Order: sequence, then C-alpha cells, then structure tokens
Amino acid sequence: MYKIEIKTKENFRDARGEYYLYEIISMGFDNVKKVKYCPLYIIKGDISDGEAEIIARQLLIDEITEDYSIKKENEILSPIKVGGAIEVWYKKGVTDTVAQSVQKAVKDLGIDKKIEVNTGHKYYLFGDISDEDLALMAEKLFANTLIQGYEIENHALQRN
Amino acid sequence: MKKVKALILTTAGTNCDYESQAALQLCGASADRVHINVLLEKKDEILNYDILVFPGGFSYGDDIASGKILANEVKNKMGGVLQKFALSKRPVIGICNGFQVLVKMGLLPSVREFCQTSTLSYNDSGKFECRWVYLKTMKNIDGVSKCLWTRNLPEIISLPVAHGEGKFIVRDKDILDMLKNNEQIAFKYCSKDGSEADYPLNPNGSIEQIAGISNDFGNVFGLMPHPERYVFALQHPARQGYDGKFGWGKIIFQNAVDYVKG
Amino acid sequence: MKLKTTHCKEIDILNLSDKELLDLSKNNVLSLSLEEMKTIQDYYKNLKRNPTDIEIETIAQTWSEHCKHKTLTGIIDYLEISPQKKIHKQYNNLLKETIFKATMELKKKWCLSVFEDNAGIIDFDDKNAIAFKVETHNHPSALEPYGGSATGIGGVIRDILGVGLGAKPLANTDVFCFGKPNTPPKKVPNGMHHPKRIIGGVVSGVRDYGNRMGIPTVNGSVYFDDGYMANPLVFCGTMGIIPKNKIAKKTRAGDLVLVAGGRTGRDGIHGATFSSVELNKESDVSAVQIGNPIVEKKVLDAMLKARDLNLYRAVTDCGAGGLSSAVGELGENTGVEIDLKKVPLKYDGLRAWEIWISEAQERMVFAVPPKNKEKIIEIFAKENVEAVFIGVFTKDKKLKISYDGDLIADMDMSFLHKGVPKITRRAICEIKNEFEQKTIKMNSSEILKSLKKVLEDLNVCSKEWIIRQYDHEVQGQTIIKPLQGNNIEVSGPGDAAVIFPYTVVKGTKKAIVLSNGLNPEYGKINAYKMAASAIEEAIRNAVCVGGNIEKISLLDNFCWGNTDKEEILGSLIRAAKACYDFSKSFSIPFISGKDSLHNEYSIGQKKYSIPPALLISAMGVIENVSNTLTMPFKKEKNKVFILGLTRNELGGSVFSKINSIKDGVVPNVYPKESKPIMKKIYQAINKSLIESCHDISDGGLAAAVSEMAFSAGIGVKIDIDKVKIKGKMSPAEILFSQSNGRFVVEVDAKNEKKFRSLFKGTVFSQVGLTGGKDVVFESVKNKIKVMENPKKLMSSWQKTLQDI
Repeated sequence: MYKIEIKTKENFRDARGEYYLYEIISMGFDNVKKVKYCPLYIIKGDISDGEAEIIARQLLIDEITEDYSIKKENEILSPIKVGGAIEVWYKKGVTDTVAQSVQKAVKDLGIDKKIEVNTGHKYYLFGDISDEDLALMAEKLFANTLIQGYEIENHALQRN
Repeated sequence: MKKVKALILTTAGTNCDYESQAALQLCGASADRVHINVLLEKKDEILNYDILVFPGGFSYGDDIASGKILANEVKNKMGGVLQKFALSKRPVIGICNGFQVLVKMGLLPSVREFCQTSTLSYNDSGKFECRWVYLKTMKNIDGVSKCLWTRNLPEIISLPVAHGEGKFIVRDKDILDMLKNNEQIAFKYCSKDGSEADYPLNPNGSIEQIAGISNDFGNVFGLMPHPERYVFALQHPARQGYDGKFGWGKIIFQNAVDYVKG
Repeated sequence: MKLKTTHCKEIDILNLSDKELLDLSKNNVLSLSLEEMKTIQDYYKNLKRNPTDIEIETIAQTWSEHCKHKTLTGIIDYLEISPQKKIHKQYNNLLKETIFKATMELKKKWCLSVFEDNAGIIDFDDKNAIAFKVETHNHPSALEPYGGSATGIGGVIRDILGVGLGAKPLANTDVFCFGKPNTPPKKVPNGMHHPKRIIGGVVSGVRDYGNRMGIPTVNGSVYFDDGYMANPLVFCGTMGIIPKNKIAKKTRAGDLVLVAGGRTGRDGIHGATFSSVELNKESDVSAVQIGNPIVEKKVLDAMLKARDLNLYRAVTDCGAGGLSSAVGELGENTGVEIDLKKVPLKYDGLRAWEIWISEAQERMVFAVPPKNKEKIIEIFAKENVEAVFIGVFTKDKKLKISYDGDLIADMDMSFLHKGVPKITRRAICEIKNEFEQKTIKMNSSEILKSLKKVLEDLNVCSKEWIIRQYDHEVQGQTIIKPLQGNNIEVSGPGDAAVIFPYTVVKGTKKAIVLSNGLNPEYGKINAYKMAASAIEEAIRNAVCVGGNIEKISLLDNFCWGNTDKEEILGSLIRAAKACYDFSKSFSIPFISGKDSLHNEYSIGQKKYSIPPALLISAMGVIENVSNTLTMPFKKEKNKVFILGLTRNELGGSVFSKINSIKDGVVPNVYPKESKPIMKKIYQAINKSLIESCHDISDGGLAAAVSEMAFSAGIGVKIDIDKVKIKGKMSPAEILFSQSNGRFVVEVDAKNEKKFRSLFKGTVFSQVGLTGGKDVVFESVKNKIKVMENPKKLMSSWQKTLQDI
C-alpha cells in the first residue's frame, strides 16, 4: 500500500486552502491562521516503489506547482507541530469517481496491474485549535458524515 | 479547391465539441468530432487533417487536475504523431480544457521540447466562474500577431470564460522571458480601455494577465476563453460584433482555415 | 410456477392483522397505507401464496406517491368556505379535472406529447420538437445538499434523455427555496444543516453536475423563507431537442432489455417511498445517491448515436424505483422476464431486491430488437459505457424476475400498474377576505430607504454569486443570458433565457425561451392568487424577451406540506383550480408537471409543513432569434412607458414584508387586460418598436425601473403622477405595488407614434425619459422626489449575497 500526499509548493498559491480558510473564518473560528489543502491517494496492489513514484510524479502532481510524498505501509510521517489536521475519506461502498479515473490513467502510463485506489483529502490547519473545534470543522465543513469519514490529528501548541 | 479538414478530439467529458464544429463549419471547413478511442485505433489518420482542435469540457471529469488524464493519455499513446502534426506547422488549438491539455503535456509553449514548463492552476478566487472578459490581442511593432490564430483582430475584443482552473503559471522566470521575447503571449486579460485588469476582469489571477499563448512558430495556440461561443454578434451580451452579424471569435477560426488554404 | 427462496425471502402477509400489516409497511419503509396493504393481501390470497420480498418491494415502488401521484389522481372530497358561500365538490382525479383538462380543452396542435412521457414535448420546426421537464429533489438535498442536488439535476437530465427515443439536452434551469443564509446557528433545528451549508452544497452540486455535462444552466430563481430551513426545495429542469420522428416509442415482445451506464450499488434504496416520509434526525441515509456526471455524459454521447442508427425501440431512465420502475414502465403492456444476476454491480453483497430497486445513478434501460444486439453494444463500448442485456420483453403481461435461474417474482402487470386502490381524502379551504392596508404615507427619503431595502432583499437581490458558478454559456447557444448589461461589467436580472439551437438545427432562425414564476409569499395568504400570479409571471417573463404567447407552454411543480391535513390539501386544490382557470383564459397549455407532497419536518415533537410553493416554468418557441430583447435601457432620451394598470395590491409584497405592513390585497390576475398587452408586445418587438422591456413583479415598478437603469449604467426620470392607477394610491403604494400584468418598456422617440397606435385600446402611459445621471421618481402633486445614482442602486442590489 502506498499513501501519496500532494502538496502545493511553497512559492505557489494554495487557492483551495485559502478558500477553506475563508469558510472557516466565516464560520467563526478566528483561531485558524492558515489552511493547507493536500489531496491524498491510497494505491493498493502489486506495484513497485518505482511505479508508485512514476504514478505520483507523472500523474498525480502538477510538476510546476506541486510536490508529493509517499508513505508506505507501517511508515509514519512526522506529524506537523503547528496545529491540527483533518483527513477525509469516503465511507465504504460510496462510489469514488476520482479513484476510477486514477485507475484508468495508471493503465495509460503503461502500468497494467490490478490496483485498488482510494482518494481522500487532508487539511492542515495552522493555529491553536482545540480537538472539539477540529471535530466541529470536520463535521460542518470538510466532511459530509453521511458519505465520508474523517480522522483528526491535533498538535496544538499549548498542549505540547 | 480541396476542403479544409479539421479534427476535433473528444473523450469522456468533452462538451464544447459541437460549437467548435459549428464555428469551423461557419468558416468553410469540414470538421469531424472523433473520440480518442477511435483515433487511437488508427493514429496516423490524424495526418490526413489540416487542423486539430482540443475542445473545452471536463475531460475525464477533470479528476486529479483539469486536463491531466487526457494530457497523459494523448502524450503516452500518440505523442509522436501529435508532435509530428504540430511540427508540420498545421494549426492546433486548445480551448479551455484543451489549453490545459496542451500545457500539461508540454506541447505548449514548445512543440520541439514537448515537456511541461507551465501550467493552469486553480483560480485565485478558488471557484469556477463564467463571465465575459476583455482581451488584448498582442501584436509586434509591425502590428502583426505571431500567433496565426489571432491575426486580423482589433486590439481589444471580448470573449466568455468559464473555468475553475485557469491561472497561468510558468515554471520559472526563464520560461516567462522566453514567452515574452518570442512574442508567444497571444492574449492578455485587460480592462475596457486596454489597461491592466484586476479580478474579476482578470478572472483567475494569471501571471502577466496571460489568457492565451502560442508556440514560437505561432501555429499551436492555447487559450482559456471560448472563441467558439462568440461567432455571432447575437452571442455577445450587448450584441456587438462585426459586419452586423458575426462575433470576433469567428475570426480566430477563420484565420486557421485561411492559413491552411494558403 | 413455484418460486424459490434461495435469493429472496418469503414475506408472511396472508395471516397478518391490520396492525401487523401497517407495522410491516412501516418497518420496511414501504410507505403503503392499510388499504393498500390489504389490497396486496387479497391479491396474494387469490394466488394462495405469500409474496417474496422483491415482489412487495416492487409493489411499494410502483405504487409510491412519487411514481403514481396517488393524492392528485385520487378521490378528494372538497369543501370550500368563503364569507359569501360554501361549495362542496368531489374530485375523482384532481389532475385530470384541472390542469390536464385545460390542456385537453385547448387542443393545441403544436403540443406533441403531454403528461404521458418523461417530459412534455412541443413543436419546434418541421423536423424537430423540444421537450421540457422540471423535477424536485427536496428530501435528499436536505440531508446531503451536494449529492442531493447533483443527483436531482442528473435525474432530470435523464428524463430528457429518456423522453421519446432520447432528446439532446440544451439547457438546465434551477429554482431553490432555502432558509435564510443569515439565520443564527442556534435557530437551526437540531440535526439539520445550517441554511448556508445547504445553499453552498446545493449550488455546488448543480454546478458540478451541470457544468460537467456541458449543459448551460440558464434560468432560475432563489426564494428565501424561514419555512424552508429544515426542508429546502430544489427544483431542477432540463430542456432538450428531439427529431419529431424519434418521439414515438413502443416496446415489442421479443425485444431485449438492455441496461446501460453506471453500475448498481446500494445507493438510493427506498428513494421513491422515502420522498413521502417526513424528515427527521434519523432519516434513512441510504436514500442518498452519489452521482457521476461523466458517466451520464458518456451515456448521452453514446445513446444519441444509437438513436440515430435506430438501434432501439424504446428507452426510459432509471429514476425513482430504479430498475423496478424503468423496466416495469417499458414492459407494462407486454410483460418482461429479467435475470438480476446479469446486472453489473459496484460491489458484491447486494440482495436481489436491492438490485431491483436501487436508485444508483446514470442508468438507462432500452428495448432492443434482437437483430441490433451486437451493434448497440459496440456503440456503447466505443464510448466506454458498460451495457448489458438483462432480460427480454414477453407477451404474457407478467413481470417475472429470476436470479441465477431461480424464479423470485411472478406478478401480473395489470395488478402492479392498475391495482392500487383509489384513496379518498378530505380537503377544506377557507377563503378569507383581503383588506387594503392603511394608506402608506412616506416622504422622499423614506421611499428611497425602502427602495434600497427592496433591492437588498434576499428575494430581489442579485444571485450573481450562484449564476457565475454555472457555465451558462456552454454550447454557445445562450443568447439571452441570466445576467444582462449594456457592457460586460454591469449586470441586471434578466427576465428569461433564450437558447438559439444553431449547433443542432443547422441554418435555423428559431429560438427557445425559458422562464419561471414563483411566489410562496402570496400563497401564505391566498393559494389561488399565488398560482395565478406564478402563471402570469412566467408568461410575462417570456414575453419580455420576445416570447409569443401563442406558442408558450407551461410546467407545474407543486411542493406542498403534508396533504393528509385537510386544509393543506385544500390550498392545493385552490392552486390547481387556478391553473385550470388561467391556462384556459391565457390559452396556454400545461404540458408536464410533478408534485412533491409531503414536505413536512419535525422540530422536537412539533411538526411543520413548508409554505406551499407552486413553481410554474414556461417554454416557448421564438420565430426569429433576432427579434429578442434584453432588459437594460439602451440609450439616453428614450421614452419610458408603463403598460398595464397599477392597483393597490401590496398583500404579500416585498415592500410590505420589509416594512411589516399588515393587511393588503394580494395581486390578482386580469387576463382580459394583460393578454392583449402581451400580444402587442410581441408585435412591437417584431416591428422593432421597443428597445427594452422588463417585467414588474417583486419590488414593484420602483425596483423594475431601477434594474433597467443600473444594468444600463444610465439614469432615468419617472413621473409617478403619470402612472395609470385604479382608485386612490399614495406615491409609495404606486411605486411598490406588485400588481400583475405590467411591463416597463423603452421606446425610441422616432417610434413613439407607431408604438402608441399599436397599443391603442390597452391601459398604458408614458411615465418618463431615460438619461441624466440619477434614477429619479417624482410626484409634483405629492411633493415627492426620490433621487439616487444608478451605481449606488446597483451596489444595493449586488451586496446582499456577494460573499455568501
């Protein structure tokens, strides 16, 4: 299993992150200073590390504005130390249309292997935010709990 | 005289193919809408055409990023013949989603290098927007456009845009310098009097207000606005156009057809 | 034949008591009444066996309110009480005795298919016809606004794909009723989404689906009222074009059943029966479907190819009730045998009945003659669309379903489609007298303040935030757009949209006009006048841009509260009666409609019904696309006329609402006055006697004139004393009355004479001149002079929903 996280490069504008920041602030959470939006992909199946790199580099990122990091099974990415993060994934059984497109596109790359794909979203929220507020934002803005599940990480400054 | 033949490449999610076809027909060309699955079975047939159109739409739903999946598919499966087509100086146009495809596979800004050096990213506003904008036609000191598609246009025209990912960005300053030095910038967003425009008249926050670029020869052209939606004066919000009947978008297609006729 | 229960369950029904029958209905979300359950029990008593689960589910789907419209086609015992008299009347089929009856009596030759297929169809030209359908998708949008509205628009697009042998969609419309976006969060009922989230989600859903399908969303409106906070209304419409020789469809015995498009999953189970269930916190989540517009776009591209090659004899979409409704509909007059094992699934683990009633999106069902079997699969494969044969149409008029060789359902089509017992409901309507409000006395600055408040009002203000997110220009055929201005930076609210289908009908000069009318505020006081006003507003809007009332057709969409309550059903009857009366008097037929009748929600223990809403959508044919108009004033020094009589009708008006004025007469409709005016406007536009035309409705003539001025970026001076009025009215009353039947028109001085002689015999007057830097309303008689810069008025109009 490979978990691929896409990031906007530092010198480019993260318009989607800014959009969510605007929404969060208009919901009344003025303790959030910045939002960074990162698409997530999980690819399962019989592919090599090299193929995962190709998929990430050639398909999943825009070379000009984005970077990626790949996490393999059991590998832990170092948590951010600035605030909270919310990961959103579809619940089982919900049609993941982007995942279907990724499968097609991986074949177009010449990687003709049986793979399973899931797509998700990660939102990094910078600022000192309580667990309760993170959960509230997840439910009110980021996830539609009818079809999506979410996970929260929190590293609020005061609690460190 | 032989009829000018255009190929409009379609796939799942293409949705501006009919109006692009109608625009070319209005200019006297014949235009076939061809699905990529059909074209891939006989790639070389593309060389029987004079003009190639990558139309607007949401190819493969714009999943992952707009135009990305189609860009990869075309490049991996028929990149060679496509490059050959473009190097033969035949007109190629990418409109909106088609522009995104051209840029993401790297056919623009340099056909010879054929690698991605620029992109079309999310609008600064963070959302999809449909509106009419003013465009400045870029011309050299002799008053001629390098891009064969944008010749014979007045200095300022208007066209509609409709996109969520149209912010033109380059990899680095060298690319921007190249675009400027080679006169590859074809259209810039502007205000009514031609001065620099802010949002919403620059609808996406493109660097240097760039709305469309061409390759250095000027036969391959990509733009975010939709010329195919403005071939009749009636299509303009205030019904302006030329000859009392046509819209300025028609000239863009007419240029390509006339160029092929020689 | 014996049924096997390996892949289904036998449901014991033969020996159940009444209470047990009702429990069975409720526990399985069947939404069937006791009488219906007993009818089913009797049917199986005759067959001397119990039904299987899939049979019961099939009956529940087929008999659902959503599919059968039991209330509107059932028996209604109606009592009407007015201060003058009592009327008692029995309706045996309300629809047939009102709306449908008007259409039958009007006998328009250009109506090609009314109230039978998936959409109404009218004549366009020699070779082509146009189809229009509007659907609602309310309950799912309350629970999952994004998915709910996306599948709403996806579903109505499929209605157009499934009308006749398939029409090509040309335009979408959307009308929403929401709670107010500025509602304090603590006022939102527990477990319900905040209106802002609903609005954002619904708009994004329509945007992403419509834009990806490449269908421009060109016309609509948004209405805000606290009454829709927990039960928003989402109306989605699609108009399409179809060759006339592709309208008729008929399944024949021996044709194969082909299902094409998306795969079947557990999504949307019980959507059809669920739409009749009141909303509460625990509402069933599996009723929500997930849409994928690109799959539907592929189906559209492929099926139009197959249609033009005549590869199938009939088609319909999988909507509410899924395969059970679609296959049942196509096989109603033949019979059908289905093998459910063949249906492509998204994942394993679905029970047979779930496959049968799943409302998974983007699926169409075709009746294919065996000789075209290979060819049609090839066409679909070229577009990467999955298409699979799942059965055959028979001639025994039975529905037989098997799974893996086991027969699991065997029922008579006649019982399924005609066996539903007619229910009798009671309805009552008490009509109250309306009284004029106390004379409104306002000075100039108070009037200006009111004008700005009117323009800022949620129900008048600019919906640009929504409109810009929709690609209303795709296909290049939107020649009268939702936002209109004299250059591209200024904008005002267009009355109607015009589509010029030049990419489909080569060389045509004709165009199609789409418009709508809706005013729930009137319905709170008088349902009859609400319906009448909505009808006239829709027609007026179409007329403003160049529509010809000789060739306009209407669609009705009733969204009502719980019609089990007598007074709620009573108001619906009044509205339906108005539909008949005004369809007849304007000689404009209804061609299709839909109802959604259980819009009720609970807060705590208390139940609330929504304010009733009747949406009227209009579609018309315009002979010459060049003879169409936008609403902004075109130039300075032109003469401004008001056509029609202004009455003291402020009941339910925006002005009364913002100034908390009680009383007031709700605007009535006077076809004898307004119909000749509308006819003459059409003639005037075709003779180029009018430069611009705008409907007077919400906000009265003050709002209408302001909109024409600020969208043009020029001033105008109006003499209030010259407005033709009935009786005595104060300047504020004249400016803000919402009397129907009125238009503001701009006339070039050189055409004035011809214009006046054309309108001779109708009520009209010149009230002012365009030009100057301000918008001015003056009454010398009353010492009133209201002045404001058009830019400032535009900013009032634009600011309310700018950054929702």
